[in-house]
Amino acid sequence: MIKKLSLNLRLFFEGALLSYIALFHWLRPAQYLATKVWGPLVYMLFFVFLGKFATGQDNTSFYVIGNAIQSVALSGIYGVSMSIDGDRWDGTLPYLFGAPANRMTVFVGRSFMHIIDGVLGAVIGLTWGVLLLGLDLSHSDPFALGLTILITTFSTSGLGLLLGCLGLITRNVMFVNNTVFFLLLVFSGANVEIQTLPAWAQVISQALPLTRGIAAARQIIAGESLSHVLPLLAVEFSIGVGYVFLGYTLFRWFELIAKKRGTLEAI
Amino acid sequence: MSLRTIRLYARAMFLAFEMTLRQNFTDMFVLFGIFVQPLIIALLAFWMLQERGSDYIIFVVVGSGMTGLWTTVLFSSGSNITRERWTGTLELLVGAPVPIQVVIFGKNLADVLQSLGSMLLSYTLAILIFGQIPEIIQPELFAVSLMIAVISYVCFGLIVSPVFVMNPNVQRLQNGLEFPIYILSGFLFPIALLPNWTTPLSYILAPYWAARALHATSSGGADFKEIALTWGMMILFSLVYLIASGKLFKTLLYKARVEASLLRQ
Amino acid sequence: MNTIEVCNLRRVYKTGIGVIRRKVKEVVAVEDISFDVQPGELFGLLGPNGAGKTTTVKMLTTLLIPTSGTARILGMDIVKGAREIQAQIGFVFGGERGLYWRLSGYDNLRYFSSLYLVDPEVAQKRIPYLLEMVGLEERGQEKVEGYSRGMKQRLHVARTLLHDPTVLFLDEPTMGLDPVGARELRQVIRNLQSEKKTILLTTHYMFEADSLCQRIAVIDKGRIIALDTPEGLKGHVRDLSVIEFEVYGVPSGILEKLRAQPYVDTVSVENRDQKQALLIHSPRGSEAVPDLLKSMDGLRVGNVVVREPTLEDAYVRLVGGKV
Repeated sequence: MIKKLSLNLRLFFEGALLSYIALFHWLRPAQYLATKVWGPLVYMLFFVFLGKFATGQDNTSFYVIGNAIQSVALSGIYGVSMSIDGDRWDGTLPYLFGAPANRMTVFVGRSFMHIIDGVLGAVIGLTWGVLLLGLDLSHSDPFALGLTILITTFSTSGLGLLLGCLGLITRNVMFVNNTVFFLLLVFSGANVEIQTLPAWAQVISQALPLTRGIAAARQIIAGESLSHVLPLLAVEFSIGVGYVFLGYTLFRWFELIAKKRGTLEAI
Repeated sequence: MSLRTIRLYARAMFLAFEMTLRQNFTDMFVLFGIFVQPLIIALLAFWMLQERGSDYIIFVVVGSGMTGLWTTVLFSSGSNITRERWTGTLELLVGAPVPIQVVIFGKNLADVLQSLGSMLLSYTLAILIFGQIPEIIQPELFAVSLMIAVISYVCFGLIVSPVFVMNPNVQRLQNGLEFPIYILSGFLFPIALLPNWTTPLSYILAPYWAARALHATSSGGADFKEIALTWGMMILFSLVYLIASGKLFKTLLYKARVEASLLRQ
Repeated sequence: MNTIEVCNLRRVYKTGIGVIRRKVKEVVAVEDISFDVQPGELFGLLGPNGAGKTTTVKMLTTLLIPTSGTARILGMDIVKGAREIQAQIGFVFGGERGLYWRLSGYDNLRYFSSLYLVDPEVAQKRIPYLLEMVGLEERGQEKVEGYSRGMKQRLHVARTLLHDPTVLFLDEPTMGLDPVGARELRQVIRNLQSEKKTILLTTHYMFEADSLCQRIAVIDKGRIIALDTPEGLKGHVRDLSVIEFEVYGVPSGILEKLRAQPYVDTVSVENRDQKQALLIHSPRGSEAVPDLLKSMDGLRVGNVVVREPTLEDAYVRLVGGKV
């Protein structure tokens, strides 16, 4: 029992370390800065101005918070799903299937770095908001805000995990990732009040990660306490868990099919 | 240059156009930028701007189409030469009698025209969502503006693709050039909302003039003098881009043949 | 006028090493190369990897500009007359790349014919003809991504003939092909030569150079170290031609008698169990056997084995290995 636990722990940290190295090897400094620092800023500015055009001046912080939290999806979706599919492109997938270790532990370990990266992204986004767009964080509970960001990043990573596993059976993983990322922009409430969306759209919003995280962040920055937003965060967290579970099930099913059919690379 | 040569150059350009269309048809990555992304932006903008009334539907259709056009020029057309390098066909293009600019022009044209399809799609989406047919106020002027805009985008692509293939580092930053142009060109909101110091930046962007022309002729509210100004600016920029691209391609061929830095990797 | 005239061609590459402090290193790919190819000739460039064959061909096909030296193709300078040359030459570098995978073989050819400014009416007739010539007429409408390596290579050859060039440059055309495919392609090359095309071929398959080429230049480290017909090159290693006679007993005087023959270089004897082997070096090779047998009249001769020097022997000796 202890042996299994320590083995899994070791896998977890090795996975984390590997993905840390991979992350910074793949993204050179200029590109990293462009993606992590400049990117979120321009997304934010675009929607702030679009929002100004749509509704009026005093709503700037609505869009700032929405897009700052939204930026965790960059790591959660792209980072996590690519860390799974990276195996596929490198051709190391069969080795993963063949290994006796718990695959999921490896994947979760890899996702760990992206969660840290995602939290960092949101912090950068909020910093831009404070520096350039007059975001006022003085009423917010820092712990509550930090927890919200962490949970939201986790839940988005859950979706990323599912997409990564989906990516194992389709050649067009980037297409799927891009589409989901942009759909999150629409349905997460980052840029539009969920209540104003048609009914069918609201259903989608509720089933996605980010929605409650963004709502919670807005409330915290407006001055609400942690206990007030706890129900939102709890659901957000469960959604994340749900996606992780879905991804895991899909992965095991895929593994079974691949072994039955004798094709370890599906496409 | 004889008439026969011109005819054969035109044929090469047309076939480059046709082959690009065919290849794009099955390329999911390209299709995303050309169709899916602008459509999603349109959807979001529809919902965000719905308070401004139904006049803004056509504004969103045209504006989101413009975001698609820019994304296409930046990512698809921008990588046209880089992709030839990957497939190992760049040296064939360098070694063939037809000038390489003719080929790239044809490819860019295919990308841009394909991207206009996204405008058509958001138009259809608008009809589905709002149940009414959005009206283009000055259709003939809109059509002319669109044609001139297409030419200016294609010419701009003639600058981007050699720059990207000669400077992979610049290409890696292409993600960061997408949304800033959306902002500075006033695709989905007027640049009057931006701080004053950015206005000169907008004025040196051909997409800004294209957006101004297309919005003015579709949503209305501009006299012919103003529209003619935008046409003039777009044509001017196209000429500038064409001349600059001539120099860039010369440099490209120099790098390929003298420095040998561009052919087989 | 020679079809191809190469005069002291030299090509230096500059590469940067190191990440932090970049130093520029110069690599001389082609040191000093001169040769001529006559009209209608099938000329071979033979050499180890990295010798400079491909670089030389790239210079001659206008893809690279030489660092110094000149070359003329059909009388036109490869730098100044590049565009005119491009219309008259074809080249194949082959391999998996250099084709559009998402398009069919037919579409690839159609597209390339326009790049080579071939009249549409001409192209329309020529493309099916070329597809048939390289054996792809059945698969022409399929996407290239489904082609085997050999099929892609054959499509490359078809492509290069679209504008009916007078001069062809084929860089390792049969590399990676299975024996049947390679043999078929060699026959295509021979057919092309019989159509009076001038062909420059690079290869490192010895027997291919031997059987196809009328003259061969051996390149090593960017220089030509030998230029001759295949027979001429093999002459360098005449001493390798050995005729082995298995005999039962060597009577005295027979060795001197054999050595006295004018066409015999050396004679030596090897003892093998209960037999002996007479090893005779003669430039006449197997042709000397009947005369030698006559000289050995009276001897009981068992097995006769003739070992002819091959082009590979010549090449290995030229390039520096020990035979």
